[in-house]
Amino acid sequence: MQKINKNVVLALLSLTSLVFLLFQLYYYKSYLSQKNGTIFSKVKGGQSGQDSTRWHVIRKFLGLISSHNIPVYLIDPLILGLIDKDIEQIRSSDGPSPECKYFCAPRDFTTFALLDKTWKHEVGLFRTAEKMGFQWLKVINKDPRLDGMDDLFGIEIPLHYIFKLASHAIHLVVFYERSGNYLWHGPLRLKQHMDRKFVPFRKLHFGRYPGAYERPELLLVSIDDLKVQIPKNPSSFLDEMSHSRFLECRYREARAFFQLYPDDASLDAVEFRKKAKSLLHLAVRTLNNLGVKFWLSSGTCLGWYRQCNVIPHSKDVDLGVFIRDYKADIIPAFQKAGLPLKHKFGKVEDSLELSFQGEGDVKLDIFFFYEEDDHIWNGGTQAKSGKKFKYLFPKFTLCWTEFVELKVHVPCETLQYIEANYGPDWKVPVKTWDWKSSPSNVQYNGVWPVDEWDDVIQIY
Amino acid sequence: MDEWKPNPAVKPHKKRSWYLAWKYKLMNQRALRKLCQAGAVLFLLVTVIVNIKLILDTRRAAYEEEEESAQDYDDETLNVEVPRHPVSNKKVLDVEVYSSRSKVYVAVDGTTVLEDEAREQGRGIHVIVLNQATGHVMAKRVFDTYSPHEDEAMVLFLNMVARGRILIFTIKDEGSFHLKDTAKNVLKSLGSQVAPFLSWRDMWTFVGKKGGEVYGEKHAKSPALSTWGDPVLLKTEVHLTSVEDAECHWPDTELNRRRKRFCSKVEGYGSVCSCKDPTPIEFNPDPLKDNKVFDVPVAVIAGNRPNYLYRMLRSLLSAQGVNPQMITVFIDGYYEEPMDVVELFGLSGIQHTPISIKNARVSQHYKASLTATFNLFPDAKFAVVLEEDLDISVDFFSFLSQSIHLLEEDESLYCISAWNDQGYEHTAEDPSLLYRVETMPGLGWVLRKSLYKDELEPKWPTPEKLWDWDMWMRMPEQRKGRECIIPDISRSYHFGIVGLNMNGYFHEAYFKKHKFNTVPNVQLKNVESLRKDAYETEIHRLLGEAEILDHSKNPCEDSFVPDTEGRVYVMFIRMEQEADFTTWTQLAKCLHIWDLDVRGNHKGLWRLFRKKNHFLVVGVPASPYSSKKPSSVTPIYMEPPAKEEGAVAVPAVAAAEQT
Repeated sequence: MQKINKNVVLALLSLTSLVFLLFQLYYYKSYLSQKNGTIFSKVKGGQSGQDSTRWHVIRKFLGLISSHNIPVYLIDPLILGLIDKDIEQIRSSDGPSPECKYFCAPRDFTTFALLDKTWKHEVGLFRTAEKMGFQWLKVINKDPRLDGMDDLFGIEIPLHYIFKLASHAIHLVVFYERSGNYLWHGPLRLKQHMDRKFVPFRKLHFGRYPGAYERPELLLVSIDDLKVQIPKNPSSFLDEMSHSRFLECRYREARAFFQLYPDDASLDAVEFRKKAKSLLHLAVRTLNNLGVKFWLSSGTCLGWYRQCNVIPHSKDVDLGVFIRDYKADIIPAFQKAGLPLKHKFGKVEDSLELSFQGEGDVKLDIFFFYEEDDHIWNGGTQAKSGKKFKYLFPKFTLCWTEFVELKVHVPCETLQYIEANYGPDWKVPVKTWDWKSSPSNVQYNGVWPVDEWDDVIQIY
Repeated sequence: MDEWKPNPAVKPHKKRSWYLAWKYKLMNQRALRKLCQAGAVLFLLVTVIVNIKLILDTRRAAYEEEEESAQDYDDETLNVEVPRHPVSNKKVLDVEVYSSRSKVYVAVDGTTVLEDEAREQGRGIHVIVLNQATGHVMAKRVFDTYSPHEDEAMVLFLNMVARGRILIFTIKDEGSFHLKDTAKNVLKSLGSQVAPFLSWRDMWTFVGKKGGEVYGEKHAKSPALSTWGDPVLLKTEVHLTSVEDAECHWPDTELNRRRKRFCSKVEGYGSVCSCKDPTPIEFNPDPLKDNKVFDVPVAVIAGNRPNYLYRMLRSLLSAQGVNPQMITVFIDGYYEEPMDVVELFGLSGIQHTPISIKNARVSQHYKASLTATFNLFPDAKFAVVLEEDLDISVDFFSFLSQSIHLLEEDESLYCISAWNDQGYEHTAEDPSLLYRVETMPGLGWVLRKSLYKDELEPKWPTPEKLWDWDMWMRMPEQRKGRECIIPDISRSYHFGIVGLNMNGYFHEAYFKKHKFNTVPNVQLKNVESLRKDAYETEIHRLLGEAEILDHSKNPCEDSFVPDTEGRVYVMFIRMEQEADFTTWTQLAKCLHIWDLDVRGNHKGLWRLFRKKNHFLVVGVPASPYSSKKPSSVTPIYMEPPAKEEGAVAVPAVAAAEQT
């Protein structure tokens, strides 16, 4: 009898837990679907005319802004996406629009941008905003333009503003001009005393990371009977936005590095840095004109990551380019810019590497990277023996950064990239470097067939 | 048991038999039974785990929804709560004041706000001003009334302090020798009974409210000339007033809010804080037409001389064509009061942790300030560099606007400076005239970004080199033969008397009589002739028209130059090679112009004014203009005085004007 009971109990327990499991699964599913929808969906159901609320909030905000002569432009990805579909129509038409097509679209925020230098930080704006019924929040933080400098403490600068009225909020992103001729916006970080529930911050389109942008050309258009400035080419802006993540150089770590290994201030080092900088400026100009995406690689990348500067004993400037971005006009373009080809190793299908002779003894190396399923690699060739080498990297994406007054790409996962290349001891400066044996990610990759040598080993 | 209904359609009887059969089967197959049991337990475990996981997941999700501003939006670096001083509602302050020969101190509510026991300094009357509502220290001064004129400064200061403020006085060492009756009367009017009778080496402490009650006074008479009075310690209580009573009732505007913040913190700035008709803090000078320097950043280099900074910023913000948004004040150190002054004017200020000492500290501060300026204004091609002890001429920006294109186009230029080293009251005349000089005067100048970024910044002297930045910039390795453009009449005036390399005597001798332009909108003439080659043509034209002075006369005598006006004269002095300035230095000395090192020369030629005539000095034979000398004229040679002291004086004082 006891045995039967045991079985029965077991069976019962199994059943209840099964029921329980089903219930939980059901609940979780419904929860998820609710979460993915708009958070205000419940509110929306209750209130009628919600759509025009958004429009009214934007109208009020634009009124506020223009009464203080503050030039803002629309950067909201949702609305720009809608606008982009009928951009031609919007550009040409000027008359009243029959329906509220863009500003009434369901969303929690509308995002605008503001160029810092075009306005004077004034308290009056917030006073007026409050009178109009807006609640506002200001996010300030350290000025990154002073971050790279020893011991300078400026006033914190405003990075984001949020104006809230009824159930809609305006997110105003402040853009700053930085050395390297680009615009920068900061990350949105809440300080401790701030209201965490002011708006659902996670849903903001800007602020998770800092971002770097080109200066946009603006266009004044009339949308839903509101005059507003938008980027002239919304689709390219949206494209830029998706790759805008910006990494600040690690200035504090760089300072610590220089404490340990004082900087080389000799005349030679100064001269080399100057040459390397101007070579990099030339290379960036040339590649940007061709529309070839590139990033700082090898020693140049290490210099950026470790010391926020060119490593004076590195003798060359290294760039990486994905082989899919290779263009045949790279070589003529550099030659036209005054950089003759020094050598060309490999071919487009395998281990391509270009080297150009810059001014003085500084050389520009462009390594082409090949993507595999689980890694990325570039190749090396020893001229005298025809030996091939392969340098393996974990997969990475590209981020913007600022280096010697240039906006350039670096791998976002910089540490992995550098550790792959230089091993865990990358923090220690090494003056003797052998590209065939020193890197920790080098692999022997066979020998070029002798009949191909003329093609894959070209030295000028 | 009844709840166990895998299939409700099945009849109970059938179910029972199915169950029995199952049981029977199990009885028979022990192994299978065990397996089933184990399976059930396993299943149970799995569901329990999944359940727990689900519960945790939903809870986390729900939590996240609540805390929508999730962790990655939190500021990690600044999560430490800033400790706030508890707002004390105390109405009474305990004040302790000590006066003695070698030490003074003042403590307010147990906090020492003044302590001075250093030897050989801090002699005289120490004055502290407290806010009558908060008890905060608003000003601290010491007036060495043992020395002459310091009592006048004290009277001036006390008159500036607003009514109602709490004043604390204490004497260290000696404070009566040059304390005149005027000053004594002022102290008496504050309620001091002892002040009129203060005498040699008396010790004295006094606490009172300006225009109100006296909180305490103690005095110890010196028994004899050779000894000091006994130390005195005054302990007293001060009743605080309400904040409203302590403030002026200015109309509520943005400007007045800044004023209010400033005036409740510091004292000693005079009418800017007076309740009736305070001086404006916004100046709105006329804009310049076609202002080419509107977008040029202005870096103001400052230390801890807030009164100087106040005067400097007033003159800067009053200059026509100023753009306050481009101004950044760089303060060397964490001084509060200079920052208060910057905020009063609504400008932006940046503080810099001091690096190194003395001249090297200044030099590092300059570097940081210049780098920061070009970082903050990445579009700028130039930066205007000013110092806190300069008055800025009303046409400063007009002067730069008219000349800045030269700096952009002429590679042979090093800078544009507002300061003419040789432009004294008696040697400068023409506000529209510009020169090219081989020296770099500083004191209000324009720096080209490319020069800074490509040449100066990478090799700027490191902190351990105790160099002056301006001396370094004047070195041939840096200057590389390039020249600066300067006006005949300076557009800046150096009023600083206190400074790193500065003292009253030095200022009186070399800076006080400097000419300073006060005429607005001066139209500069022949700006194009300042270009490298055009300038040579211009000089040759000038020398061609110049009358040669009588070389038999003494050039130091006033009669050396005829009593004319508007003529051009030339004289020739001996100058064996490019670096031979023997005669020039003697001439400069007797003309009472800058003689501590060579300034204002252009290829062995100096240009200045004497008696309203343009006066050219050519060094023969080193100067290429020597060819203009008729063979009959013998260049004048002046011997240096027997004692060779110049060599020592030059490096010590030449750097002085950078302070």
